[in-house]
Amino acid sequence: MTHLELSHIRKAFGAAVVVEDFNLAVNQGEFISFLGPSGCGKTTTLRMIAGFELPTAGTITIDGNDLTNTPPNKRNVGMVFQSYALFPNMTVAHNVGYGLKITSKSKAEIMQRVHEMLALIQMEEFAQRYPFQLSGGQQQRVALARALAIRPQLLLLDEPLSALDAKIRLELRHEIRRIQRQLGITTIYVTHDQEEALSLSDRIVVMSKGKIEQVGTPTEIYNAPATEFVARFVGHINLLPVTVLNPTDGVISLGRQTLRAGRFGKLNGRPVQLAVRPEEINLGAKPDTNTLSGEVESVTYLGSIVRIGLRIEHHPLSLDVFNEHTLKLPRIGETHTIHFPVNACWLIEKSD
Amino acid sequence: MKAQQINWWAIFWIVLAALYFLLPMYGTLDFSLRMERNTISLKAYEIVFADPRFWRGFQYSTLMALITIVVSIILFVPTVYWMYLKVPQARPIMEIITILPFVIPTIVYVFGLIRTFSRPPFQLTLHAFTTDMLIVAGYVVISMPFMFRAIDVGMRALDVRTLTEAAQSLGSNWFQVLVYVIVPNLRVAILSGALISFATVMGELILASFLVRPALAPYMALLGLTKAYEPAALAIISYALTWFSLGLLQIVSQGGTTRQLTGR
Repeated sequence: MTHLELSHIRKAFGAAVVVEDFNLAVNQGEFISFLGPSGCGKTTTLRMIAGFELPTAGTITIDGNDLTNTPPNKRNVGMVFQSYALFPNMTVAHNVGYGLKITSKSKAEIMQRVHEMLALIQMEEFAQRYPFQLSGGQQQRVALARALAIRPQLLLLDEPLSALDAKIRLELRHEIRRIQRQLGITTIYVTHDQEEALSLSDRIVVMSKGKIEQVGTPTEIYNAPATEFVARFVGHINLLPVTVLNPTDGVISLGRQTLRAGRFGKLNGRPVQLAVRPEEINLGAKPDTNTLSGEVESVTYLGSIVRIGLRIEHHPLSLDVFNEHTLKLPRIGETHTIHFPVNACWLIEKSD
Repeated sequence: MKAQQINWWAIFWIVLAALYFLLPMYGTLDFSLRMERNTISLKAYEIVFADPRFWRGFQYSTLMALITIVVSIILFVPTVYWMYLKVPQARPIMEIITILPFVIPTIVYVFGLIRTFSRPPFQLTLHAFTTDMLIVAGYVVISMPFMFRAIDVGMRALDVRTLTEAAQSLGSNWFQVLVYVIVPNLRVAILSGALISFATVMGELILASFLVRPALAPYMALLGLTKAYEPAALAIISYALTWFSLGLLQIVSQGGTTRQLTGR
């Protein structure tokens, strides 16, 4: 059931087009992330949903009602900002109750709802504190409670965790998802952090230069990126320029070495690249797999994994191995054979 | 470890500056207490306080100052807020406009006011009430640099845009955003602006004397021409008044700074 629908949204600031032909249908209760580098138009799109920006063209509907030109205070959309934006002059309880006070709810009702919300974020004992007496993580939880207190039809989060340190970010990420699931509220989450998007979302919208590159579940986005941009932006990927020798059997060549690709994306005659994730590649040779050999250029220790960089036919390629206690790392300068399954690699066209 | 050196030059300049300010004040104070021969007395103060013209001037100036403050707040808070939110590029223009009262001599400004508004179609100087309207308008302009700057600094310490958007997404209209969110967070800034404006209006001479209104400063000037000891007493009184305003400002701003600065 479509809850929020954006159709043919375009936003231009003067001559600069920030968002172009953005189409998306969001289902009730879905958690959607807008993922992309800064300047890709994700925040602008979110701000158009919130009503802070008006689209140059296109329509925004919630439950079939056209809200394209509705002012933000009439949309009943909760918003959480990167900078928390708590009202410094109000206590936590007053911040959370603000939206209800504006809609002239009774004191008892406001108190009950504030209590409910503070219980939801597990901060009941902080009701009488002022924002400046709270840590960043606590402030953002209050901001979340404040946005939810008005029972919005949509929850919008604009990089809510970017200002927090790594540990708190992880905690709060789980908390946001828990609360979202508990309330079943349709949520749009803007982030440039692929890990956040992959771990939180039902679906991810990957954006670049104002356009949607791909919409899909985290698995689809990671395992089958549609474009070179998505492949490069989400996770680490090896892209090797190859020549297709036999499209039916998937036979390709990389320099003098012959390989097979499991999947062929949409190919339109442009130069193609073999895409394979570092974690799919293993050291050593194995029958019925793609086997290549190259010189070790770098060995980088990343904690739970070790990333090994090789040069194969003049092209860099990296592979990840688990940091087990039996692991024997190759040395720089040695020549090693590597292998990866045919089904773990696919072909994508080189972008412009 | 090196012992902290005493900066004798710094002390020298501080003492010199203090003497420059304090000596004349001490002289005035001393003189104001010597109305009666060979004794220290508060006679000059008694005479000033017993003069109904002093009280009338004080009352009139206080009232005008308060009206000026209210008008300034109503005028400048929404204007500066709008500038921050919608037209940040207008800031340089605002800076220049608000500094004009410092650049244009008050006397020139007053002549301009009188020439424009004492003739038809306005003829504001025909009645006391309309003259007072004109005088308040003049005071608002004269105190504008202080009021604008105070509010400007206050807004700069706030994330005005995001707070506004947060309040809007929670259902507030423009008026509610201003009243519930922006103004309470500008409390200290508005008070500082108000107190400086108050001090400015209380000491303003040219506008009131050319528009012939019973303000405090023209009374002081008049007294200065005709009496010896009383003007000195009056000067001390107005000093005290100004310092009292500034002291109040200090207390108020200390009370609120921590919240204002860290509560973002």
